[in-house]
Amino acid sequence: MEAYVPKLVCFSCDFGWGYVTAHDILAPQIDNWIRVTCSSKVDSAYIFEAFEEGADGVLILGCPEGRCHFEDGNFRTEKKIYLLQKVLEAYGIEGFRLRMILSNNPGGEDIPKRIEEMKKALGKLGPMKRR
Amino acid sequence: MWQSIRNGTAAVEEAVRQFLPPCQAQCPINEDIQRTNVLISLLPEHPEDAEEGIIQIGDYLFEKNPLFTVCGYVCGLCELACNYRSKGGAIKRRLLKRFIGDTYTDYLDNKEEFDIKKHKANVAVVGGGPAGLFCAYDLSIRGYRVTIFEASDRLGGALWLIPRYRLPEKVLEFAVENMVRIARIDVKYDAKVGEGKLTLERITDEGFDAIFIAKGTPTPRTLFFADEQVEGQDLSGVMYGHTFLYEVSHGNIPSHYFQGKKVTVIGGGNVAFDVARTVRRLGGDTTVLCLECEDKDSPDGIPADSEEIRGAWQEGIRIIYSRGVSRIFGEGERLKGIDCPRCTSVFDESGFNPQFDTSDCMSLAGDILIITVGQGPDKTSLKKDDLLDKMGRLAVDPLTLQSLKRENVFIGGDLRRIGFMAEAMKDGLTGAESIVRYLSGQDLKEGRKRDYEVQDTPLKRLYLTEPEVLWVPPEKRMHFQLYERGFTLREAVEEAKRCLCCGPCVSCKACVSLGIQESLPLVEVTQDRCCGCGICVSACFYGAAQIRIVDGRLVSTIDTFKCKSCGMCVETCPSGARRLIGDKTENEVREVYASL
Repeated sequence: MEAYVPKLVCFSCDFGWGYVTAHDILAPQIDNWIRVTCSSKVDSAYIFEAFEEGADGVLILGCPEGRCHFEDGNFRTEKKIYLLQKVLEAYGIEGFRLRMILSNNPGGEDIPKRIEEMKKALGKLGPMKRR
Repeated sequence: MWQSIRNGTAAVEEAVRQFLPPCQAQCPINEDIQRTNVLISLLPEHPEDAEEGIIQIGDYLFEKNPLFTVCGYVCGLCELACNYRSKGGAIKRRLLKRFIGDTYTDYLDNKEEFDIKKHKANVAVVGGGPAGLFCAYDLSIRGYRVTIFEASDRLGGALWLIPRYRLPEKVLEFAVENMVRIARIDVKYDAKVGEGKLTLERITDEGFDAIFIAKGTPTPRTLFFADEQVEGQDLSGVMYGHTFLYEVSHGNIPSHYFQGKKVTVIGGGNVAFDVARTVRRLGGDTTVLCLECEDKDSPDGIPADSEEIRGAWQEGIRIIYSRGVSRIFGEGERLKGIDCPRCTSVFDESGFNPQFDTSDCMSLAGDILIITVGQGPDKTSLKKDDLLDKMGRLAVDPLTLQSLKRENVFIGGDLRRIGFMAEAMKDGLTGAESIVRYLSGQDLKEGRKRDYEVQDTPLKRLYLTEPEVLWVPPEKRMHFQLYERGFTLREAVEEAKRCLCCGPCVSCKACVSLGIQESLPLVEVTQDRCCGCGICVSACFYGAAQIRIVDGRLVSTIDTFKCKSCGMCVETCPSGARRLIGDKTENEVREVYASL
């Protein structure tokens, strides 16, 4: 049997992550990567759809507290993620599968690392139980 | 490589409704503050990688403000209007600019000259201070052949009077010399217009079709009490602040010149504090005496910047508030001291009209008295050139800066109205625009007056406090080296990130120039779908989403000037009435999800 590799969708804010490295250099290193101008652009529907379409986890990379280019976009998303985790748990999906990191990494070399970290954690959890 | 683009979709547009961030509206020359703040905030982390970016930002600033390296040390007007001011301290824009300038100053000598076709008329600029330089620069890059007639042997005018501990000599020298080189402006030094044979007529006869005069204010104002000039200003030991700073800047005053001397500086403006702090650095026991009171919020409050007052106080300078000078007395030819009655009020309805209580009068003994109560233009030469009206005032149109006596003469800078450096620079630009219109036969006044509307403070949960600016401790700064520490790359990026970016996107476009967005997306409201619930209003930090009554029904609308296209309202709208045109997130999401 093949080793289980979790599928992860990663949203990252362009004002905090990987803005000094050209997109075509970073993109091949990162699977299922979606760049957004602000983490708050990640609609709740996108998150649910990701799980529906077969993702085992969703990672959102936002800017550090107080440093959002759009004032409080990162804070709004953090709040939203907390609520969505509760909703996921109500459906029997571990809230842990949805995660947000508030930090800053101009070069973007941390994005694959953060994804790997989360993949490792999800690997222990096993595939998502779908009905 | 760090690359910021400035053409095409990334070019900054002049706002239709003059809607600007408050800093840019405050800046006399409307520098692109927000844009460059965002560009600085997105610089790479390592100094070596960032250098290319710093030069690019510098190039961008240079185009609109070739003296920005100097502004980075002495201006900071924009900080007075910053929306962050009441929320944790204004963005330290001056230091951000100084940060760019410190790298850019070294690069200036190697900067290539502009490729300009000089095919238009000859224009003479009298005076090589900030106003004259800006007028010459603007005309020169527009194709005019410009010659500056500078009375002294160096360009920069009154900027040279700024003490070196605030503005290093190298920064100023590099800025002015490279500015005329890069913009290919001719300069005639030691050319005193209005003296000898060099008259305005002669300049006109030599083929200069228009003249911009910005000769500044070389004459110190003397001390008056009760409408009469105070006697004793000719005593040995009495001097004028303006003259003193001029001598200091030329290196004519040796160090420790005032060692063991009691020096009194009269005046409450920034120049008086420049004088006092310079005297202190030359060893003098210094006292500042001013008419105004200590409370800066009072109409009679001291006009000097609080930073200057704080710095002076730290350096051991005594400040005596609310006192005037009624008598200067001496012993033989030498100054002994002054009588200082208490000043009860400085301004009344008619303006400057100080009132004194002569029963409360103190005497202040001293060896040196430096009078720094302002300076004025050289009226004799202005009169000779027929530029004054019957009342002896400068006859000039304040909107176009055209002389009311001679149609080919334009007047600006301190000569017209004493102000900040940036205000003189603005006069230069105004004069240049008027000269272009005058020489091409256009209407001088049409569309010149601009009113600006500014963005309110956006809502934010966590406002960050301003960084502390480090000064060399007073006991270690009694010299003419800089005492204020500039930003490191890391500090500059952090501080630039604090900027609220409250201005409209069209006057910024930093994200487009760095390729974060291809173009600015637009929020569109489908009003048929809108139920008027107003959730979008509470979602918007900028007050761009508004509920209005349209055809008798509450619907949501969008103010495109205030909108930052962040998509917060789109994400939150329960009826899907809002969408972002030109935003690619949806497509990217579909593409990625299809591959899962």
